[in-house]
Amino acid sequence: MIVAERKPLAEIRGFVDRYDRMLIVGCGTCTTVCLAGGEAEVKVVASGLRISFLRDEREIEVLEGCVTRQCEPEFVAEIKQRVEDEAVQAVVSLGCGVGVNLLAQTLETIPVFPGVNTKFFGAAVEPGVWLEMCAGCGNCILHLTGGICPIARCSKSILNGPCGGSQGGKCEVSPDVDCGWALIVERMKKLGTLDHLAEIIEPRDWSTSHHGGPRRVVRPEMARVSGQQQGNGQ
Amino acid sequence: MHTDTRAFVEFIVQGKYEDALELLLEANPFSSVCGRICHHPCEQSCRRAKVDAPVGLMRLKRFVVEATRDYRLGRRGEDRAVQQREKVAIVGSGPSGLTAAADLAKQGFRPVVFERARTPGGLLGNAIPRYRLPYSVVEEDIEDVLGLGVGLRTGVEIGKDTSLEDLRREGFSAVLIATGLSESRTLAIPGIDSRGILLALPFLRAVQTGQPFVLGQRVVIIGGGNVAIDVARCARRLGAEKVTLVCLESREEMPAWQWEIEEAQEEGIHVMSSWGPRSVFSEQGAVKGLELRKCTAVFDSEGRFSPRFDESDTATVVAENVIIAIGQRGELACLEGSGVDVDERGRIAWDPQTLATNEDGVFACGEVVTGPGSAVEAVFDGHRAARAIAHYLETGDLLAQPPMDVPHVGDLPDDVAQKVTIMLPVAPHVLTAEKRIEDFAEIERGFTEAEALAEAKRCLACTTGALVDEAKCAACLTCVRICPFGVATVHETAAMPKEECLACGLCAAECPAAAIALKRFSTDQMKERLARAAADRKETGAATPLLVSYCCLFEMTSRSFIRQAEQDWRERGVLLIMVPCVARLGVVDLLRPFEVGADGTVVIACREGSCLYPTAEERLLGRMRQAKQVLAEIGVDEDRIDYWKTEGSAEVSWTAFWELSLRKLGGVRQAERRETK
Repeated sequence: MIVAERKPLAEIRGFVDRYDRMLIVGCGTCTTVCLAGGEAEVKVVASGLRISFLRDEREIEVLEGCVTRQCEPEFVAEIKQRVEDEAVQAVVSLGCGVGVNLLAQTLETIPVFPGVNTKFFGAAVEPGVWLEMCAGCGNCILHLTGGICPIARCSKSILNGPCGGSQGGKCEVSPDVDCGWALIVERMKKLGTLDHLAEIIEPRDWSTSHHGGPRRVVRPEMARVSGQQQGNGQ
Repeated sequence: MHTDTRAFVEFIVQGKYEDALELLLEANPFSSVCGRICHHPCEQSCRRAKVDAPVGLMRLKRFVVEATRDYRLGRRGEDRAVQQREKVAIVGSGPSGLTAAADLAKQGFRPVVFERARTPGGLLGNAIPRYRLPYSVVEEDIEDVLGLGVGLRTGVEIGKDTSLEDLRREGFSAVLIATGLSESRTLAIPGIDSRGILLALPFLRAVQTGQPFVLGQRVVIIGGGNVAIDVARCARRLGAEKVTLVCLESREEMPAWQWEIEEAQEEGIHVMSSWGPRSVFSEQGAVKGLELRKCTAVFDSEGRFSPRFDESDTATVVAENVIIAIGQRGELACLEGSGVDVDERGRIAWDPQTLATNEDGVFACGEVVTGPGSAVEAVFDGHRAARAIAHYLETGDLLAQPPMDVPHVGDLPDDVAQKVTIMLPVAPHVLTAEKRIEDFAEIERGFTEAEALAEAKRCLACTTGALVDEAKCAACLTCVRICPFGVATVHETAAMPKEECLACGLCAAECPAAAIALKRFSTDQMKERLARAAADRKETGAATPLLVSYCCLFEMTSRSFIRQAEQDWRERGVLLIMVPCVARLGVVDLLRPFEVGADGTVVIACREGSCLYPTAEERLLGRMRQAKQVLAEIGVDEDRIDYWKTEGSAEVSWTAFWELSLRKLGGVRQAERRETK
C-alpha cells in the first residue's frame, strides 16, 4: 500500500486561499487504509477549511467527494464531471501523488493541490503504525536477502551489509530505525541460509529504477483490447 | 403479537415517553395491565440474560403508562374511526374480547361487547387480586378501548337475557365468543360437599368486588398454579393465620411463576408440594381439615397428567376452609339455542387457524378455546380474531392464520456476552411481607423516572448496530482493530453480524471510509439543530459566545431537568445536544459547531466507570485530540474544546461544567483578541 500523511491544514488553506469554491476529494483505496485521505478525512479537512475561512469572514463553498481510486481514469472522470457541473475552481486531492497527477492531467485548466504528503510503499506493522518496505526499484532482489529489502530498509540501500553504523540491530540514523541488514541477517539465520550472504551481490543496473527516467508498464493484451475499444489504438 | 421492545426502550432512553406509549398501545391495548401482571415472555427472551439479567421490560412498560397518564387521557378517542361498517357482537369483556373490539373499531366496524358482570374486564377485573392489579389500572386500558367507539353492555348474559340468535336478529353480522375460563373446576373426593369448601374463582370474585368475607383461621388451598397462589395470598390478607397450599407437583414442577411462589412464602404461606388430597374430613358437616397422600409422580412417561400416589405416606392438615384452585373451565351457556357445535370434551369446536366455529359468522378466541393462558396471549388472540372477522365481513371467506413464529436473533454468543459490562437490574420497590398482608393495597410501586432510565440504559439494543456500505468499505481493518466486543470481521469487506454487534458505534466513528452507519443513531439531526441554532443567533445578533454542549444521554435522570436546562442555558449561549454515548462523536462532529460559528464545544461524558462500552472513553479522547489538532493547525485555540465527566449526576454537575466552560471560553477569546492586536 502507498502510505501518506495529511498535510497541515494551514498549508492546504494557503493553496486554496484565492478560491471561493473548492472540492476536497478523497481516495477510497490506499489513503483511506492509511487513515490519511478517505471520506472521513475529507470531511475533517473540509470542516477545518470552513472554520478557517469563516474566521476570516470569507464566504466560500467547500464541496466534498471521494472516489474508489484516484489512479484510474474512469474514477477520475467522475471527479472531472463534478468539477464541471458544480463550477469548482480548485481541487484538493487527498489521494497519493499519483492521484494528484492523474487529476491534474485530467482536469487541465483547474488547479489540483496535494492534501497529503505521499511517503512510501509500506505495511501497517501495528494499528496506526506504517513502515516503508519497498522502494519500487524495478529489479527485485528479495530472493537474495531473505525477503527483506536492503534498498528500502537500509538507510544507505547498500547491497552487501551491514555497514559499521549498525548498532545492536539499530541504524545509526536513528535509534527508532531498525538496521535493514541486521533484519536480513536474523531472517537468513532462521532460514538456515546465512552462508548465502558470503556471496557478494554485484553492483546493480539502476536504470530499472528512477535513474532510467519515468517508467512504464505495458500489458500488451489488455492495452491493445482497450485501445481498439476506445478506437485510438496507439 | 409482537412489541418492538428495543424501540420502546430506546424511546424511554431518549425521554420520549409518549412515543413509547404509542408504540406499546399499538401492539397491546392492555399495556397498563401487562405492565403489572404480565408473565413477560419478552424478558425470558431478552438476550441480556446471558450477561447478567434481562432488561425489566414489564416494569419499564408500567413506567411508560404511569409517566404518560395525562397525555393518554388527552389522546383518548382522538384516533376514533368513522364507524359505518357492520356490527359485531363480542361476548366477554376480557383482554381477548376487548382487543378484538378495539381492532375492529379502528377499522370502522361497530363492535358491541356483552358482559354478564356489572363491570368489564373479565378475570382482570374481577379475579386478579387488587394487590397485584388495582381495578383503576384495568379501567385505564378499558376506557381507551371504549374511547375508540366500542359499545359495552354489562349485566347482560347471553343464553339467558338474550341469545346469539337474538343478536343476529338485532343486526350483528358476526359474533365473537371470548368468554374465557370463568368457572372453577372442583374435585371428586369424599367430603367435598362439606361447609367451608370454596371454589377459587367465586372466592376471588367475592374478594375483589369487596363482598364481606369471613374465613377461618386456618385455610388450605388445593392447587399449584397462579390462581392457587392468588387465593392463598388473598386468604392471608383476609386474616387467615395459617394458610397452606397443597399441590401434586413438586416445587420445581409447580406451574405458578417462581416469583409468585417466593412472594407467597414471604407472606407466610406454607407450600406443601408433592401432596394430593385424599378426603376432606368434617364435623357436623363443617370442614375440619384435609387428609393428604404423597404424590410420587404427576405425569406419565409421555407427559400426560396421570398422578400416582403412595397411599402409605399420608398427612393431615387442619383447616376451617378448603379452597379448590385446580383449574378453570369455560362456561358455554351463551351457546344456548345456537347451532354452535361443542366437542366431546364439552368445548367449543373451532378451527385454530380461522377461529371460526361451525356456525356461519360465529368465531371464538381466547382461553375459552385455547385453554389456560396469560393476558398477553389473550391479547394476541384478540388481534387474530379481529383480523379473522374483518376478513370474513369483507370477503365472506375465512382467513387461515397459521401459528406465527416470533423472529429471534439467537443467543448472544458467550465471548461477546463476557465483554459486556455487568449492570444489575434496578430492583423494584416491594412492600415488606408484614406490610403486604395488612390489606389489598398494591404491593409494588412503579419505577421512578431515574430508575426507569437506569434500567432502560441496560438494553443492549440488539440488532440495531453497525451497517456497512460495502461499496465504500476499503477493508482497512480499523473496525476489527477497535471493536471492543471483538465482533467486527473483514473478509472481502467489513461485517458486523447483527446477532453479535452491540451497537456501541465506535467503528462508525472511526471508519476512515465513512462506510459504517448505525441503525439507531445518525448525526443528521445534530447537524440540523446546529444550523438552526446558528441561524437563530445570526437573527438575534446575540453578543454572548455560543457553546455547543454534547451530553451523554445515558446520564439523564429526568427529562424535565434536560428540558429546563435546554431553555435556561440557551439564553446563556449553551446549546445542549444529547447523544446516546458521546463516544459516538466523530472528529467532524466535534468540529462542526465551529463551522456554524460556535465559539466552543464541550463534551460531557458519563460518570467514571459507568460507560456501557469498554474503551469508549479512550477512543473519544483520541478523537478529541485529533479535533484539537485540526483547530491548532488553523490557528484556533484548542482549549475551545472542553471535556468533562459527569460527577454525581447530570443535575448535580452539568450546570457547573457549563459555567466553567463558558468562563474558560471567555478567557480564550480575550487571549486571542490580545494576540491579534
